[in-house]
Order: sequence, then structure tokens, then C-alpha cells
Amino acid sequence: MTNNRTRRRAGAALALALGAAGIATGAAAQDCTTKVGAVLPTSVDWGRPIAETAQWVVDQVNEAGGVNDCQVEMILRDTQVDPKVGVDAAKALVDLDGVQLLIGAVSSGVSLPILTSVTVPAGVMQMSCCTSSTALTELAKEGKTNGLWFRTFATSGVQAAVGAKVAQDQGWKKVAVFYKNDDWGQDIGKLVAQNLESMGIEVTAQVAINDGQPSYRAEAASALSGQPDAVYMALYPNEGTATAREWLALGGTQNMILANSLKSEEFRENVGMQYLENAWGTDTASPRADSATAFVDAYEARFDSPPNGPGLANSYDATMIALMAMEAAGEDATGAEIAAAVPRVTDPEGTPVTADAEGFAKAAEIFAEGGNVMYQGATGNVRFDEYGDVSAPAVIWKFTEDGIEEVEYLSLEEVNDFMASLQD
Amino acid sequence: MIQHLVDGVLVGAIYALGAIGLTMVMHMLRFANFSHAELLSVGAYVALVFDKLFGALAPVLTAKIGPLSMSFALALAVLVSMAVTAATAVLIDKLVFKRIRERGEELSMVFASFGVALIVRNLIGLAFGLGTTLYNSDIAFAMVLSTDPLILVRPDQIFTLSAALVLMVVLHLVLSRTTFGYALRAVAENASLAQVAGVNLRRIVIAVWVIGGALAAAAGVFYALTNQITPMIGRDLLMPVFAATIVGGIGSIYGAALGGFLVGLAANLALVVLPSGYAPSMPFLIILAVLTLRPHGLLGVARA
Repeated sequence: MTNNRTRRRAGAALALALGAAGIATGAAAQDCTTKVGAVLPTSVDWGRPIAETAQWVVDQVNEAGGVNDCQVEMILRDTQVDPKVGVDAAKALVDLDGVQLLIGAVSSGVSLPILTSVTVPAGVMQMSCCTSSTALTELAKEGKTNGLWFRTFATSGVQAAVGAKVAQDQGWKKVAVFYKNDDWGQDIGKLVAQNLESMGIEVTAQVAINDGQPSYRAEAASALSGQPDAVYMALYPNEGTATAREWLALGGTQNMILANSLKSEEFRENVGMQYLENAWGTDTASPRADSATAFVDAYEARFDSPPNGPGLANSYDATMIALMAMEAAGEDATGAEIAAAVPRVTDPEGTPVTADAEGFAKAAEIFAEGGNVMYQGATGNVRFDEYGDVSAPAVIWKFTEDGIEEVEYLSLEEVNDFMASLQD
Repeated sequence: MIQHLVDGVLVGAIYALGAIGLTMVMHMLRFANFSHAELLSVGAYVALVFDKLFGALAPVLTAKIGPLSMSFALALAVLVSMAVTAATAVLIDKLVFKRIRERGEELSMVFASFGVALIVRNLIGLAFGLGTTLYNSDIAFAMVLSTDPLILVRPDQIFTLSAALVLMVVLHLVLSRTTFGYALRAVAENASLAQVAGVNLRRIVIAVWVIGGALAAAAGVFYALTNQITPMIGRDLLMPVFAATIVGGIGSIYGAALGGFLVGLAANLALVVLPSGYAPSMPFLIILAVLTLRPHGLLGVARA
């Protein structure tokens, strides 16, 4: 009885050991896993698709054999669009999971503290799909990002440049600027004023507009005193309507330049079309490139719906470029090494590769031979400047009787050339 | 500068109307009513409904009155709105404040008023949506009163100012020349003594709410006429109206009127000295200054 039981136990143990050894020998060759971290607002309804898009890229890369022959595991953590939660999540990924690449976050207010307090001190590369503040550009200029920071979302600089271009095209000489008194508004208001001045257009006033004020009469009146022949508005529809009506009632000019936040039916109806004949709006746009259309088709095939939410194309490109850079940097690369390999992915002289599993496999082959690739992504041919920023195509639009109409499309090259001309 | 002064007076008239109602309620019922400004929203929206209704029933009424952007329909709607808002104020008192008052918990009243404010604001949002609406989407352009220095005034603002002044004068006459006015002031002085003298306290309380509600409705419509209608009117006007009340001295109706104009002027003149981003701090600064220098307000009487 006792003997039997012992024998049986020994047999079972042996079988287990043999089995385990068998699995181990099979795994050693290729089934390694590379962890990458992602901090995205998955608990917000528009944030979930951004995360799903990133995961989709990871699936495609794994389908193509993974990064450096290792399967990629994306550890996703929620930020709730809250800086504190985001920093905690990023810290856990970097300290506990030891990731060298962090995808995220959404919103400048979250990305910035993660960058300064987690990724830069730990030397981890951070790639964001959805961060627009130029505060991060300033940080990069001061050398505080150590070249670890990238984003595939155009900064407010694009709209600010196009807004100034409208004033120039229309021949307006004196412009007053109204801006929403928050991070976004202060940023874009300041940039527009700089651009206008560098074109020789006088900025007669820069007036901050606070939310929820009972009246904007005083603000409108103080902007009026410089007698501008046009007004720039980076406001949201609610206070934008109040300010615009006050401005018009006081006899202010109907020559208006509007940021994309005012691209709203509510604004058009409440201000009244009769006063908006000479209002020109600006916005960034998706590129009209084949690779962008291909992304839309592939996305529809994968998720059964068009990629209409914010930041989806940007999320795709952010993840794909980061993983390609990881591939180019080689096995066990550090964050800094991955970041240094990004230009090899977005090299304008490189071999064009598509944004899918096939493209990744092709890129891997080229990297192995020591070559560079030009990634043609969902947001076009992405190219980061020295501060990790990208540019984007832009549109100029106008209100019409029954909606909003595009007046002019500026391709990425045109936007880049124009922005470069402003720098001089 | 002069433009800011003119605007200050014009905006101040609206604050004054709101503050008069608030100061009466705060004085007679002895609690800080944070839901008072919501009555302005109620007034603005009730007027919107009746403006559309009258306009639809009798299209003749949609004609505008002279240079104003106000139509005859809206003018009628204002009167209806004053009545409806007054009734709303009485109803809120009956449903909420009266019950708490009877238990004699003063601080609970203040908290309850916060709750009432939230409920009213969100009910309006639920019914009318959170977006911005207008009585009339035509913009009433400003008249140039003088070109040097440039002074611009909108006809609507002049109307608002005069209508507000008329309401204040009427109220003044009622309070100073009628028995009812005496009774009202007696209750404000000393409720128990007034009751001993034969004043019906319950009726006076209702009267206070009616006056407060009606004036709030007028202020709400005037505000909406010269600005816009959103469910957030109450939230946005809460601070200026409170500041006006405190500046004038709680309980002083004339003080509240004066306070309204002072707060309007200060908020407008703030832009001359402060960057526009800091302008919203003005009502708070005024409250702080008054509470430090003259805790019972400019025209208020220190209460034991």
C-alpha cells in the first residue's frame, strides 16, 4: 500500500519534470516576451479606442514575428486623464515591470508630469499619441527631455501658424487676440501673437477670457480700443458666443479668425450667419495620402467602424514607430537607445514601408541589413523635429448657411514650409 | 476708461436687482441663500418659453420695440416670468426652506440652499439643454454716444438700466409708503415683536419670496437680453450678486442697489488695472475688503 503510493507519486513527479523540461526547451529559442508599457485613459469612453488601436498594432507586430524575435506584451494601465493616477501607473510600469518604452499619455497635463518625474529620470523612452501643448517643446528645447520624448500629435503651433496665415492672406494689419484662459488657450494665443508679429502684423491686444463670467463686455471693450481690423479667437463655443456677440455689438470688426474649437454649429447659430460672412476658421487635418486611406480601411476591417474618435491614427503611428524603433535598436535596448533609433524609422531617404504587419516585417529585414526606412503611417509620412514634435496638414474653413465648408487644404509640406518661414 | 464706467453702471443695474431680493431674504429669514441666483436662470428661461408662446399665438407681437432687440412678446413674457418665478420661489420655500426653518437649524438652511441651487440648475439643463440660447439672434448694435473718448452704449442696456431703476423706485415706494411696507420692515427689525403687533408672519415671508423672485426674474431676463441664456446664469451671477449684497450691508435694500452698481463698476474697471485673466477675482476681493473694513456693509446696520 505505502510502497504503491510512493511509486505512483514518484512517477507523477517524473512526468511533470519531463513535461516541464519539454516546454522549456521549446520556449528557449523564440518564445521570449518583451514588455512595453502603455498609460492611456481607458476608463474614458473616447480613450478606450485609443488603447485598442495601440493593442492592435502590438498584435500586428507579433503576427510579423515580434520585436527582435520576441513577442511583445503591452501592459496597459489607466490614467483616468488624471495626472496623479497617470504618474502612479507609469511609475509602476517603469519600476516594477521594467519597461524601456512607455506609450502615452493622453492630454498634456498628464503626459508632462509622467515625462518629468518618471520616464526622463529612469531613461525610458516616452511616445504620446495625444499631447498638444508647446510646453513640452519648451522642455525639449531646454534639454530636459534627454531626447526621450516623442509625440505623433501636432502641437498648437500648426493652428497658430495657419491662423496667422489667414490674417496675412486677407491683408489684415491689426489683430486683437482673445484666448481662453487655460493651458491650451494661453499656449495658442501666445503663439498666434508671436506669428502675427513676426509677419509684421500688429497685435493690438491679447485678452484672456475666463469661463463662466457673467459678462464679457469689459473684455470686448478693452480689445476694441486698439481699433483692430480683425480679431483672433481661441475660445470654446459658450464663452466664444458671448464674447463674439459683445464684440460685434460694440461695433467690433466682423473679420474673424477662429480656432478649431469654434468649429461648432452652436457658435454659428447663436452668433448668426449674417455676422460670420468674413469669419475664417483653422483646423489640423488628416493627410490626404494613400497610407492614411489604407489605415481607415484596415481600421474598419478590424473594428467594424470608421476611426472617427480623436487620436486613433496618431495612436497607431505612435505605437508602430516606437516598436519599429525598438526593432532597429536591437535586443535589450535601453530607452535612450530606442529613442536614438527613431530617426531610422522616419528617415525621408529610407525605404518606404507600410503601416501593417507586412510593413513591420519588411522594416525588420532592412534594419537587419543596416538600412533605414521611411514609415508611411496613418497620419502620413511622420517626421519628428529635433524636439520630438510632428507637424500636420491643416485646413482653413468657413461657416456657410447650412454648415461648415473647407476653403483651403494645406498639405504637410506646405504647413512645414510656412512654419519654417515664420522662424526666420 | 469712461467706457468701462458706463458699462459698469449698466451691468451693475442687473446685479442690483438680484442683490435686492437676496438681501431681503437673507435679512428676514436669517440665512445665506446660495440658491437665489438660480431664480435669475428660472426667470430667463420662463421668459424664453412665454416669449416663444406669445410670438406663436400672436405673430404681431414679435415686432421689436423701437431700437431694442426686445419684442412686445418678450416684454409681456417678462411680466409673466416675474409672476412664475415669484411662485417658484414661494414653492421652493414651502418644499424645502420652511421645513428646515421650523426645526430652527440655520446652518442647515445654507447647505440646503446649495442643494436647491444644484437641483434647479440641473433641472433647467435637463429641460432646455446645456447649450446657449438667445431671445433673438440679431445683434443689437451699440450706439456711438461720443467718438472722443469713444463711448458705445447698446439700446438694450439703456432700457435695462431704466427698467431696473423703475423697479427699484416702485419697491422703494411700496416699502416706505404702504402699511405692508411697514409690516415688512417691522418683521426685518424684530420678527417676534412684529407678530405681537399683529403682523402675519407667514404672509410676510411669502411676500419676501415673491418680491425676491420677481426682481430676480427681471434681472435674469435683462441679463439674458444683454448677454445670453444658459443654465449657468445662476452660477455665473452668484458671486457678483452676493458681493453686491455684502457690500451694501445685509438687510439694506438701498445698500444692495448701491452695492450692485459698485460691483459692476469694480468688475469693469478691474480690466484697466488687472490683466484680464484675473478679473474674476474682483467680487472676492470686494467681499474681503468690505468684511475687513466695514463688516456690516456700507449701509448695513450692525446686528447684535
